[in-house]
Amino acid sequence: MNSSKPTTASKFNKNFNKVNSILERKLRKFLTGPKKGETFELRNGLVSQYKHERKDAIQRVIQAMTVGKDVSSLFPDVLKNIATYDIEQKKLVYLYLMNYAKTHPELCILAVNTFVQDTEDPNPLIRALAIRTMGCIRVDKMVDYMEVPLTRTLKDESPYVRKTAAICVAKLFDLNSEMCIEFGFLKSLKDLLNDSNPMVVANSINSLYEIRDINQNPDLEIIEINSESVKNFLLCLNECTEWGRITILTTLTEYNSKGRVEEANHIIERIIPQLQHVNPSVVLSSIKAILFHLESLTNKAQKDQILKKLSAPLVSLVSSSIPEAQYVGLKNIRIILEKYPNVLTKELRVFFLKYSDPLYLKLEKLEVMIRLANETNAPLLLSELKEYSMEFEPALIIKAIKSIGSVAIKLSGQVVIKSVTLLNDIIEQRGGELVINQSVIELINILRRYPDKNDIASLIIPIISNHIQELDKNESLSGYIFILGEYPKFFSNLNEKLSALIEEFLEYDSIIQLNILTTIVKINLEYSNQSYSALLQKVLELATKECENADVRDKAYIYWRLLSSNSTPEQQKKILLTKLPPIDSTISEFNPQILEILLKELSTLSSVYHQPSDTFIEKGYTKITTKTDKIEDIKDFAKSEIINNSARDENLLDFDDDEIENEESSGNVNNLLDELNDLFSTPPPQKQTTTNNDIISLFNTTTPATNNTQQQENQRKDINNDLLDLF
Amino acid sequence: MGQAFSFTNIFGKLWGVNKEIRILILGLDGAGKTTILYRLQMGEVVTTKPTIGFNVETLKYKNITLNIWDLGGQTSIRPYWRCYYNNTSAVIFVVDSTDKDRIDVACKELHTMLKEEELQDSALLVFANKQDQPGAMTAAKVSQALSLTDLKDRSWSIVASSAIKGEGLTEGLDWLMDVIKDEQL
Ligand SMILES: Nc1nc2c(ncn2[C@@H]2O[C@H](COP(=O)(O)OP(=O)(O)OP(=O)(O)O)[C@@H](O)[C@H]2O)c(=O)[nH]1
Ligand SMILES: [Mg+2]
Repeated sequence: MNSSKPTTASKFNKNFNKVNSILERKLRKFLTGPKKGETFELRNGLVSQYKHERKDAIQRVIQAMTVGKDVSSLFPDVLKNIATYDIEQKKLVYLYLMNYAKTHPELCILAVNTFVQDTEDPNPLIRALAIRTMGCIRVDKMVDYMEVPLTRTLKDESPYVRKTAAICVAKLFDLNSEMCIEFGFLKSLKDLLNDSNPMVVANSINSLYEIRDINQNPDLEIIEINSESVKNFLLCLNECTEWGRITILTTLTEYNSKGRVEEANHIIERIIPQLQHVNPSVVLSSIKAILFHLESLTNKAQKDQILKKLSAPLVSLVSSSIPEAQYVGLKNIRIILEKYPNVLTKELRVFFLKYSDPLYLKLEKLEVMIRLANETNAPLLLSELKEYSMEFEPALIIKAIKSIGSVAIKLSGQVVIKSVTLLNDIIEQRGGELVINQSVIELINILRRYPDKNDIASLIIPIISNHIQELDKNESLSGYIFILGEYPKFFSNLNEKLSALIEEFLEYDSIIQLNILTTIVKINLEYSNQSYSALLQKVLELATKECENADVRDKAYIYWRLLSSNSTPEQQKKILLTKLPPIDSTISEFNPQILEILLKELSTLSSVYHQPSDTFIEKGYTKITTKTDKIEDIKDFAKSEIINNSARDENLLDFDDDEIENEESSGNVNNLLDELNDLFSTPPPQKQTTTNNDIISLFNTTTPATNNTQQQENQRKDINNDLLDLF
Repeated sequence: MGQAFSFTNIFGKLWGVNKEIRILILGLDGAGKTTILYRLQMGEVVTTKPTIGFNVETLKYKNITLNIWDLGGQTSIRPYWRCYYNNTSAVIFVVDSTDKDRIDVACKELHTMLKEEELQDSALLVFANKQDQPGAMTAAKVSQALSLTDLKDRSWSIVASSAIKGEGLTEGLDWLMDVIKDEQL
């Protein structure tokens, strides 16, 4: 014992002085009065000498935090309360830390000791809470201290702790990938794929996905699935939560069972029970996985057997009471139908419209219905379609009429005649410009499916002839003019009809003018008796002298020169009267490569957009910074961005969508051009319309996305160059 | 939240029951702070790791509830000691008596800390720790090296201790309790 004690006298003296000065200070404090304000009160509460006051203050801080008040200034004082045996209080402090760690990154270090201790707590809830919070505090300094606790919790005896730690690895990877690999966390995470607990497995997969998305090192393999882990996945499948099941099912589509029929079969067998799950997303993910492994099977009968089992679950997707969920189901069904057109043939009725369906649902149902059409169900389908054409939403009426056309073109024989009569009925019973224009368009499409069948022509052309006056849409009008040129002999009063068109020639849009030109030239060749030559002369003169549109003028000159050249009428006929090939469908189809991608991306956003995910999601981080070395590079980058964006817009369009949307799309390209011009201040192109067309056609040929991104890159570069050439 | 204002709580506060006395244990890293804290709380020697942050334990000593804070002593953590000064009744400053090289550093940290306004009323107890080790400085030597006699207007004491053997700790704490009882009255 070596304590240095002052003598009693001096001690008394000293103490007396001390008491004095203490009193003085207390007095001063008293006189200045307590500081006011909520933060001040809270701070006092947090450092109170009474336990219950501290807890109360923490609760009030959290309350303030949740209503959006900024209580970050209390950080150091809240932090002091982290070391407590009161779980409730600990949770609250942890919650606070996660929220405000970023505001005081340097102070976070003060929590480390408690975190590390808590990951050793006997209570698994606390261990999990600690590692989770540590992972969520995304502060660099924290990373240095994560090694021990993370290593420990990844191997924890409690699955709850392991599954929490699994997610933590992804968070760490984002902050410091080298360390994550160096300390073997990635390896441990991969090992967890073979864990005995389903939730641990599901979380580990999710964490690995996350890591794969952030990873920038192309040599680093993140997810390696072998038959061992597949076995484990299948074992886990039945015991998982629904979200865990979705994760596992999705992962099963990453495992290629090609060439291993036995294994593929086993996988499918194990998935089939999931088709009955109440969660549509589980159902859809199961379907996706089954379809994926179906490819590996070789026996056709067996395949059909399995496909049959998909029909009821697919139907269940559209039986939901939520229209949005039904819509997603329909969008996915459309993809599946394209690959397996027969899965739902017996289920047409399920897709019939309900009065209460929202419009978008009705339109999508029609898309599915026309894809299900066959000779057997056609009568039922057509009569249903007729009813829809009597509804009042214009978009629905148009779609219904279109659908009738699509069915007639898809099927043959009696159905064609029936459809034509049906369209005629609709025109007669309902009438109105909307109905007539759309019906005429469809009638012309049907005629183009069977260009050589006179019986069909003699059925359709009189219907059109009866309603020429009412045609006011460019599409129907130009269709009529085209038919006039193709089948002049079926029209009565041909001369009168042609004269009427020429009379109005200058009033029409250029697309109609071009059609009139072609039709008159064709008719002149057809009737070599000169009876229409006056009309020809007139239209050529109008087109070349009075017409402002350069395309119309050019086309007229070409015809004029061709006809006045010393070529024989036979040669001219060969050039001008060439028949177009018959159309075979007006139902849009996916590009085969895109279809394969979409099938793998069923049940994701891609399936709703009908676009592969890499067209709307950037892979990994955008590496803009690496590209900014030269101003030229930035320009190129900006250009390709814009072009890519517009390519996406283009992709979004359905092939059978109506005029309005097409106009919109060219509008987009127009804007795009303007933007490009503004950006790079090059003189505007002389011929807006033609350039637009060129660009559109460029996109049309290039957008069918190849799954090879490298290739796509190149193509985009090509577009880029082409565009630059244009300017 | 209502429970905070419950009957017992209000009375508890009136009579000073449940009131906790805050004590800080400070000192350079490796001085033995954490070992002392748990020796006091559990009566046994625990294996420690450098404290990144702090430990806090509540213990009853002679009917007084003590709230003892053990802060990490590493250079990177010392700047944050000040966050904990508020409302502190006493500081226990632990010195590794075998660490002659850093006794000056300890002295500097001690005096910087004691200059803080918030600690003007706090008593100071210095443990000249690790006395079980051969070559340890005596308490008098440590006291001299820390210039304790320069301290004015403060109750202070230095006690030779060994956290491992459990020697000196209760003596030191007893002294501290006396001072605190005097001042809290
Ligand atoms: N021989 C001996 N060793 C001691 C004594 N007290 C503590 N130690 C040892 O000193 C080392 C550091 O002790 P800690 O209690 O962790 O030191 P600390 O002051 O908390 O250190 P930081 O947390 O880094 O500030 C440990 O190995 C203890 O076993 C003692 O009285 N005698
Ligand atoms: Mg310590």
